[in-house]
Amino acid sequence: MILDQAIEELVSTYQSLDAVASRLVVDAKEVADALEKVTFGSVEHVALLALQKYNPFTTQKETIKPNADTEQQ
Amino acid sequence: MALPNKVLPGFSATLYCQPSATPTALTVANLSTYASVSTIAVSGNLLPVESIPAFGQDDASATFAVAGSRQSDIIPTQSKPTSMTITAAWNPSDPNLLLMRGDAYNGTVDRTFVISASDGTNTIYYAFNGRVSEFHIDMAPNAEAKCTFSIHPRGNQYGWSNNT
Repeated sequence: MILDQAIEELVSTYQSLDAVASRLVVDAKEVADALEKVTFGSVEHVALLALQKYNPFTTQKETIKPNADTEQQ
Repeated sequence: MALPNKVLPGFSATLYCQPSATPTALTVANLSTYASVSTIAVSGNLLPVESIPAFGQDDASATFAVAGSRQSDIIPTQSKPTSMTITAAWNPSDPNLLLMRGDAYNGTVDRTFVISASDGTNTIYYAFNGRVSEFHIDMAPNAEAKCTFSIHPRGNQYGWSNNT
């Protein structure tokens, strides 16, 4: 789902933010990036916090197998 | 949001209601937004209440039983918002009390209410949407006239915000 649409839905709903955010699937990286830019305490900030709860962004470290070649043999 | 760390001693609470006979209640996200809520918490929207009643959640449950069975079930169904019974000095010229009376007659008007707790510097807002009912006026001759009404908050429609 496009992040803007998700925010719009959360900002305009009269239902529980938790319940609505739990069924909105958005890109977690986009949510994390948007949270850095949005004004603290704004209505978009409230919506993004609800989205972040169900779409947490975790940075994945690259794992390099030291003996990948030898394992194949 | 972080709450102010010097809560309660010296804080005074005030109740405000959204103006107009046909208000558009704030959405849930806006109820948690200081900028949206603070526009309602202005002196013109003050409700002249005697005291702020308890607010929060009531327990609610559904009880199931089978006739003849020794066992039954109590299942929590919801955390029902507490209904607030408000008493105010009755002033037939107060526009906000007249709004409350109009809401009670209508029964289906959703309006945003704001409870503001402030020590003069820090302010905490608890905003919720609710409907008014049970409006009655007590004109007993041995005391000042007062009106009593209940605000029934709508489920899930509340938010906290503060100015820190």
